[in-house]
Amino acid sequence: MADRVPQSSGLSALRGRISFIDLMQSLGLMVIILLGSLIMTAMSPVFATVRNIENVLQSATIIAVVAIGQTFVILVAGIDLSVASVLVLSSVLAVGLVQFQGLSPEIAIILALCAGLGIGLVNGLAVTKLRIPPLIATLATMTIGRGMAYIYSGGTNIAPVPRIFIDLQASRFLGVPGVIVLTLVLAALAQIVLSRTQFGRSVYATGGNPLAARLAGIKTERVVIAAFMISGLMSAIAGLLITARFEAGAATAAQGLELAVIAAVVIGGVSLFGGEGNIGSMLLGVLLLGLVQNAVNLLNVPPNWDSVVSGLVIAAAAALDVYRRSYLEAGMRKKVIAKAAKSTPKTS
Amino acid sequence: MSVAEVISVAEDLRPVLIAKGITKSFPGVLALDNVDFDVRAGEVTALLGENGAGKSTLIKMMAGFYAPDRGEITVDGVALSPDPSSAHRVGVATIHQDAHLVPAMSVAENIMLGRWPTRYGWLNKRLQKERAARALARVAPHLNPSTPAGRLSSADQQLVEIARAISEDSKVLIMDEPTTSLSPPEIDRLFNVVEDLKSKGMSIVFVSHWLEEVFRIADRVTVLRDGRLIGTRPISELDHDKVIRMMVGREVRDTILTKRPVGDVVLKVSKLTRENVLENISFEVRAGEIVGMAGLVGAGRSELAAAIFGIDPYDSGSVEIGGIAIPPNDPKAAIEAGVGLVPEDRRQQALVGLMSVKSNVTLSLLDRISRFGFLSMAKEQAIADREIRALAVKTPSSKTRVSTLSGGNQQKVVLARWLARKPKLLILDEPTKGIDVGAKSEISELILRLAEGGMAILLISSELPEILTLTDRVLVMRSGRISASLPKERATAETIMSFATTG
Repeated sequence: MADRVPQSSGLSALRGRISFIDLMQSLGLMVIILLGSLIMTAMSPVFATVRNIENVLQSATIIAVVAIGQTFVILVAGIDLSVASVLVLSSVLAVGLVQFQGLSPEIAIILALCAGLGIGLVNGLAVTKLRIPPLIATLATMTIGRGMAYIYSGGTNIAPVPRIFIDLQASRFLGVPGVIVLTLVLAALAQIVLSRTQFGRSVYATGGNPLAARLAGIKTERVVIAAFMISGLMSAIAGLLITARFEAGAATAAQGLELAVIAAVVIGGVSLFGGEGNIGSMLLGVLLLGLVQNAVNLLNVPPNWDSVVSGLVIAAAAALDVYRRSYLEAGMRKKVIAKAAKSTPKTS
Repeated sequence: MSVAEVISVAEDLRPVLIAKGITKSFPGVLALDNVDFDVRAGEVTALLGENGAGKSTLIKMMAGFYAPDRGEITVDGVALSPDPSSAHRVGVATIHQDAHLVPAMSVAENIMLGRWPTRYGWLNKRLQKERAARALARVAPHLNPSTPAGRLSSADQQLVEIARAISEDSKVLIMDEPTTSLSPPEIDRLFNVVEDLKSKGMSIVFVSHWLEEVFRIADRVTVLRDGRLIGTRPISELDHDKVIRMMVGREVRDTILTKRPVGDVVLKVSKLTRENVLENISFEVRAGEIVGMAGLVGAGRSELAAAIFGIDPYDSGSVEIGGIAIPPNDPKAAIEAGVGLVPEDRRQQALVGLMSVKSNVTLSLLDRISRFGFLSMAKEQAIADREIRALAVKTPSSKTRVSTLSGGNQQKVVLARWLARKPKLLILDEPTKGIDVGAKSEISELILRLAEGGMAILLISSELPEILTLTDRVLVMRSGRISASLPKERATAETIMSFATTG
């Protein structure tokens, strides 16, 4: 029985190109977002105003930027709980280094970003060299990072902020708020890195099957360390955005942000098992969470109910992820069994 | 021996466990085909066969893990149902290759595992200790019942498992390769225990690859081959060669005679040693040469491949490719020096299931298809298309997820990866394991073609026909050592098996 390349019909060729379920998940999110927006337009006169939409997007930028970094970590089958702590640390450093140490704002910003990279490096080394599970390693740096931010700032927000942050928040690019443009640029860069570079391919391989990746000559430990460093850097950048938004070195902000980020990334189709997902659909997950938050505010849902609603959205998305996997595996098994039944029985 | 004793011994030889007409198939494989097997009281029955002959399936069936498709197993007339607890109830205890103890629990708790004595619903520690000590006294009086099992050596853990079987009043004790991790004195002690149990009327099924051990301990030998029963004989009627003939005795296909020019030394392994795994291994493979690596499972063949390819570290020795030493524990360096490895378990070790066929083909080529870190999509597509066509990989598209392909086509994807890279040395570890006959012969032909093109090939295989037809020279491994290096003329199934089991 010689294997021949079969004459693939148009349909099966199409199936090979785009996984139906993948399409469903992106489209599904898109459909949910559109339907939800229509309903909200009908229910609230404020929703479909430029001001409100801009507000939703602006507040989503902070989660989005952190989520871009988190995506790299989750793609290598890790998880980074330290992101919110890095964010506040970066924020208090960017302001405090100017105010307390008298550095120039530019140097302060660079040092804040370096702090993010540094914590990412520590996370990466702890996970690869010390083999501490990512959940525990980053739980430790999360606690330490937040503590350091409190120590440095004295536990309060630091104001006023250097001029550069006011300008950033006020900036517009072709009429679009600068922070939104910056977020989109970062997202585009991340997507290019993931889909078009050797490093990006190594990220997917390391998350998908670390042993196979190593045996194919990929330095998987370096890939994991780099993913954590990207997450640290992105969180530090988000720290600058939050500084601009609140006009303060925000020591007490972003409580629980790490969980919102992880939820957004998973809703956006990035698998917690690693190796699967992309920035585009991930951003839809961020957007969906942002819209849910906005809807909860506009519809005057009692404040304690908003977390219940967010929780339900997260549970639904996680269920979709599990379902998608079992569907894929079932399809694969069916093919393998059909093939085995055709071949001659023989003990090996 | 008195007359009465002779009679009692003869009476004792009634069959305790009888397996009749056992047939079991797995998808695509007939693992057991109408096999009859019995175990008699007070005897040690050795169950022998090559890798994949069906021994493990039969053992798992007697232990209640699998249900036979046809046939029945009875113990003293009571039918065994496919359920491990049923096996324990009718009196079959199995000692698997790795000890199955709860490491944090004490020896006594492990002996009484799941049957802890209670009083009014409370655990009765005193009674537990007493019963455990009674069982322990027969097999391992040197052990303290309150030591956590995890602190024991693997030999002692095994004795604890035997003590558990005794405390359960088991009639049949199945031991699956019990000596693999034991030192010679530990083996002696184990065999003394086995002799003692036998004299008390217990039946023992003993699975081992080491024929010396079989001749030392067994009363009868049952041989399986390709899922069929070859025969059951008293040990007194057998010798070493007869057993090997029973195990191997298949017709071996004519060797493919292709005279290939053999070039310079490509791989030179010198005195490679890793404690308890590899012992002083030296050999060479030349360009255009196919060297076979035979041996039993656990002989250290995959471990040798892992050491050469830089997956596992080693203690001493060196690996050279084309005269240049490659560093240990660095697969990337091995790849760059010109080594390729098709590992034994393609799903676990070679393929990224979530990725496309294309990305899997180019996974070890990323450095060659990128500039300044950016991948050339066009180059990648061209290479993938070329290799998919060259190997006739049956896939709807190069963008299909590799996990949806059949085993044979997945293996071709792994091969395509290395063909695209054109290594100087290709190590193939069980390259045709678990794939259908058609793809198997395609892969065999491919191996020959690659050697004709000047690639050096190290072929690890448990399938003797594959070794005999494809290779120019056969190295046989046993217990981490190379026990023989056989030129093609001397490499027969019998000699290879003989060196693999006793060399």
